[in-house]
Amino acid sequence: MAEIPFPLPDLGEGLIEATVLEWLVAEGDQVERNQPLVEVETAKSALELPSPQAGRVLKVYGAPGEVIPVGDPLIVFEVPDDAAGIVGTVPADGAPTRRVRLSANLDDD
Amino acid sequence: MAMTTGRHTGAAAHHTVEGTDPGLNVVTAVPESPAALPPVLLIHGFASSVELNWDKSGWIQALLEAGRRVIAVDLPGHGASSAPEDVDSYTPSRIRADLLQIASDAGARPIADGHPDSGLDVVGYSLGSRLAWEFGATQPSLVRRLVLGGPSSRDPLAEFDLVAAQRFLADGTPIEDPSTATLVSMAQASPGSDMYALLSLVEGVKEEPYDPGEAVPRQPVLMVAGERDERVATIERLRELVPHAEVLILPGRTHVNAVTARAFKHAAIEFLAQS
Repeated sequence: MAEIPFPLPDLGEGLIEATVLEWLVAEGDQVERNQPLVEVETAKSALELPSPQAGRVLKVYGAPGEVIPVGDPLIVFEVPDDAAGIVGTVPADGAPTRRVRLSANLDDD
Repeated sequence: MAMTTGRHTGAAAHHTVEGTDPGLNVVTAVPESPAALPPVLLIHGFASSVELNWDKSGWIQALLEAGRRVIAVDLPGHGASSAPEDVDSYTPSRIRADLLQIASDAGARPIADGHPDSGLDVVGYSLGSRLAWEFGATQPSLVRRLVLGGPSSRDPLAEFDLVAAQRFLADGTPIEDPSTATLVSMAQASPGSDMYALLSLVEGVKEEPYDPGEAVPRQPVLMVAGERDERVATIERLRELVPHAEVLILPGRTHVNAVTARAFKHAAIEFLAQS
């Protein structure tokens, strides 16, 4: 088994931190890629962070109300060795993409 | 599992409303396993967008997992919608007409007995709840059920001090009215927002201030708000008008962070699954 840490990702818009509202997974849970992990609130809005990968949750950081700076540890996954690749890298199926593409141009589909 | 399956932007048909194209960005999403229930129209709040209010918050994914077809619209001057210069494009009555055309173009059909997927369910948040209230009240043959998030019986935008906001934007003169100051900072914080379009929306709302008693929805209604939402007390006034409404108060939540609450999504999805 290998451990893969996942820091609080860059949330864009110059945001430097987020407050944990509620964890949607617990230590020991098996999660799927894109499954919502945690609800956080930034200076601009509240959002859910999807899981970047499948795996078992080894550790979560931050109780509700705690502030986590971007780049600090958020969650650690445990995955089988053959699925891990180099520890700390994103597995082969790629980074999560935004779930809905937004476009004002109705003809560019 | 590909989370993008069945998702696309743009309605199949495209129509003008009263002779002009509203230029509103429409996001539709189709579930992998559709339930025999109507599509769900999502109406976001002031200075928000489909992306912030419904996508990043996890609503669209949760609705898709519940088998619901989703129709979500960026309000004029918000998100990826165009920002017309005329105030008429931003009046609530014009927006409701645009929403009706969009829902129809996206396949929503009037409620018909024996067709459990007919009709349209509507979920609004904040200003979107005002629009949903009026949309439900004026479209009883189409709208089946209503979920009103962060609703208010009074219209914070109607009391907005437009002159003070314009002065603040021009030369930084501080805004005295706290509600106006809050709304301006919300608007300024909103990514990619067009401040002048947002002020046009305020003007449009001031032309047609919210009077919930004027048209009252007869549909089943669920109202949801954060316990720490400063407008939560006004739910009682709405409830006097819709005594049949269910009410859910979310402990510890504010107007901003009630949006993502699991309890809100679960209650809405369960409520909208009823026949």
